[in-house]
Amino acid sequence: MALADSLFSCRVLVVGAGGIGCELLKNLVLTGFKNIEVIDLDTIDVSNLNRQFLFQKKHVGKSKAQVAKESVLRFCPSANITAYHDSIMNPDYNMEFFRNFQLVMNALDNRAARNHVNRMCLAADIPLIESGTAGYLGQVTVIKKGQTECYECQPKPTQKTFPGCTIRNTPSEPIHCIVWAKYLFNQLFGEEDADREVSPDTADPEAAWNPADAAARATASDQDGDIKRVSTKEWARSTGYDPVKLFNKLFKDDIMYLLTMDKLWKKRKAPLPLDWTEIQQIESSQEESCGMGLKDQQVLGVQGYTQLFRRSVETLRSQLIEKGEGAELVWDKDDPSAMDFVSAAANLRMNVFSMNMKSRFDVKSMAGNIIPAIATTNAVIAGLIVLEALKILNSDFDQCRTIFLNKQPNPRKKLLVPCALDRPNSNCYVCASKPEVTVKLNVHKTIVQALQDKILKEKFGMVAPDVQIEDGKGTILISSEEGETEANNNKFLSGFGIRNGSRLQADDFLQDYTLLVNVIHSEELEKDVEFEVVGDAPDKAPAPSAPEEGKNIANGNKDSAQPSTSSKAAAEDDDVLIIDSDEEPSSSTMEASPESSNRKRKHHDADDAASKRKRLDQQPSDDDEDIIALD
Amino acid sequence: MIDTIEKEDNIISEEEAAQYDRQIRLWGLDAQKRLRGSRVLLVGLRGLGAEVAKNLILAGVKGLTLLDHEQVTEESRRAQFLIPVDADGQNQAQASLERAQLLNPMVEVKVDTDAVESKPDDFFFQFDAVCLTRCSKDLMVRVDQLCASRNIKVFCGDVYGYHGYMFSDLGQEHHYVEEKPKVVKGSNEANDGPEAKKGKVDPNETTMVKKTISFCSLKEALEVDWTNEKAKSSLKRTPADYFLLQVLLKFRTDKGRDPQPDSFAEDSQLFLQIRDDVLETMGLSSELLPNTFVRYLQMQKLMGGLDAPHRNFFFFDGLKGSGVVDYFGSK
Repeated sequence: MALADSLFSCRVLVVGAGGIGCELLKNLVLTGFKNIEVIDLDTIDVSNLNRQFLFQKKHVGKSKAQVAKESVLRFCPSANITAYHDSIMNPDYNMEFFRNFQLVMNALDNRAARNHVNRMCLAADIPLIESGTAGYLGQVTVIKKGQTECYECQPKPTQKTFPGCTIRNTPSEPIHCIVWAKYLFNQLFGEEDADREVSPDTADPEAAWNPADAAARATASDQDGDIKRVSTKEWARSTGYDPVKLFNKLFKDDIMYLLTMDKLWKKRKAPLPLDWTEIQQIESSQEESCGMGLKDQQVLGVQGYTQLFRRSVETLRSQLIEKGEGAELVWDKDDPSAMDFVSAAANLRMNVFSMNMKSRFDVKSMAGNIIPAIATTNAVIAGLIVLEALKILNSDFDQCRTIFLNKQPNPRKKLLVPCALDRPNSNCYVCASKPEVTVKLNVHKTIVQALQDKILKEKFGMVAPDVQIEDGKGTILISSEEGETEANNNKFLSGFGIRNGSRLQADDFLQDYTLLVNVIHSEELEKDVEFEVVGDAPDKAPAPSAPEEGKNIANGNKDSAQPSTSSKAAAEDDDVLIIDSDEEPSSSTMEASPESSNRKRKHHDADDAASKRKRLDQQPSDDDEDIIALD
Repeated sequence: MIDTIEKEDNIISEEEAAQYDRQIRLWGLDAQKRLRGSRVLLVGLRGLGAEVAKNLILAGVKGLTLLDHEQVTEESRRAQFLIPVDADGQNQAQASLERAQLLNPMVEVKVDTDAVESKPDDFFFQFDAVCLTRCSKDLMVRVDQLCASRNIKVFCGDVYGYHGYMFSDLGQEHHYVEEKPKVVKGSNEANDGPEAKKGKVDPNETTMVKKTISFCSLKEALEVDWTNEKAKSSLKRTPADYFLLQVLLKFRTDKGRDPQPDSFAEDSQLFLQIRDDVLETMGLSSELLPNTFVRYLQMQKLMGGLDAPHRNFFFFDGLKGSGVVDYFGSK
């Protein structure tokens, strides 16, 4: 019984002890795996308890990995489990660490960590089982260096972001207002971000009657800064965070300013400013709690949100004071006052811009990128993970599959759809033998810090990059050692002789990953766009003959390859899932579901030699389409 | 009985709202309330039963009765995660109670140690839904029949090695709702943005559409007449698992137990013989269920229950990784 023996002796790593992780740990020990290590940086929250069954109410606040281990040992005391309350991206978990295992199984909820584990497993040449769930949908796949696609072989769609002027000047959907409210939270109470302004954008190209005008306004506002511009936070501080003054500035004065930019309102409905005093005088309408629904699901009126605004500002203000000098609050959807504030501010703005207001419940979904989740989907996926694991350990690698769990059976009656694994993409910028990319940017306007953070870390998933310029001298631009190249951070790339056609070698030694970056200089990037990866078209529909699109597993709420900086939970919730569904080549209707897009490509499935595949990139109403990279 | 749930306790407490938040966001508050008002019977507390128990308890049903007359053995203890290590010799349901209850204190978890065969008809009438695992065909047919008369939903399921099935009978007239996006036409006051476009589909606004479908009895589903032309022509698209199920149920009836890895030689012989008999009785060829199926009658626990009203069988093949929904019985 070779399989039983290998179960007994092999060591496996489970990355994540949440929804999938709990089910997976249970399945592993019941199947007979003896040596299991589990890692999770998160602590237990009450909202986890509907599915993360290894945790109880009394465990809220404790380490997931630790409590999971204890619970499992209760029903399988002979299991040998090591728990790490830590981030898998910590450099302690290097190649040597990964080489201890015969198999790694991800149970993650964010793309940054997935990218990282992908690279570590490639570097260490260990098979990786990837998975994800969202609502009723789920997916499992196997990644093996040299034999299958790696997690990054197919470009994953980046998360939707909105242009600055939409957020600041011309919101047209609730989500714009919610993003604005989150920016506002940070500007007032948290870490200020120059890229996330909330005040009217005077340099909005749409506002200018002629192009020269826009340029003039832009320079004017830049210059003005020295004298007049005071940061939002400084201004708020100067008023003592007076809710009334804040209210009037944000929902009256700033709106009136926007109204002066009349070109914006030629074709749009103009915003209607609110006045604090006027609102106080309106009869407080009975936003009767019908007691039938959740309190959170009520939509309040303007008065209600105004009161909520005031209360939350006062609470947040005292939290700031308590924390002391130079304190900053961190946005957390589970922090009631932070959520109250965003809910109130977003709704007031929606009201100003004539949109139907939303309940706190709905705002929370959007602001927090919440993916609905239940126990059963995770249970199914975790079961499938173990079945794949057994195949791998039994050296039945050719039996491994990608398996999709759908909500309804496809035309061939399948609810669980197995598909053959794809070969690696020879142009993959991660697993190809000498990966290369081309990046378009403005060498005179891009600083070294941006190259490091936004391009190498966020976009290309590096954790600790080292960068050399291929200029014959091997000039070091960025060193992963702290402090060594800090002086370079704020300098423009052109200052180092980087220009059109320059090549940079970027290494992440932890991930054993080298990426050659070709630089193309451009002065014609769109507003708000700092760089473009050539050949990357995540937001546009690819040409029909495009190479295979990713069967994207639930990747993350956040497109950014960086984990969130929220102290409480690095990742917010389970992933968004994108599914390919198997389909009859001939007679099936092309509209298996109204939401599906019409992209088809040839693919092999386990049963059928050639079956077309449709990519559903919009989920049924379970998932929120407008998900954006926030935080 | 489900209809009367609405009249019960309509307030969701803060505690429930916080705990069930992620699932309320999936299936809605209304569905959560219905769950919260339902009483479910679960028969059989082995691997599959434990999974079902976990899923139902986490979902927040009003009450779950765990019924099992068998005792804990080393084998049964290793098959599931609710039974403590020192519980050998105790009743299986009783041993599972404590951990099951801890999964969600808001659910009333009860234990019944009687054999399900010994239960009178009216025992089942106190439930809104009944889940049967490890039961004989006759028992399942009987329970299904008497539940149908009372609009009690019936689910049957079993796991055999790498294979598994689930059957559901939701009654002759099962009502449900489907969420469809609302199409906003023309000038509509209730718009979500200042630009009201014609026929704009607002992804955030949906409407609930009521629907009705009917399910046949288990008896009908298992007694399909394969001799008529229509049935014969559909044979090609019929999962072999359906016939596997028939054979395994007969094995269970004849032998009083399921095939065991320990008695592999004897069991596989019997299995093949029963296969021949069963298929012959149906007027079908033994090829429909090749000998290879015997190899995989081993131990593997699979997954928990499913959500949507799949009609009316679900077959899982763990080797292929495929899960198929199929309908057997009169339409």
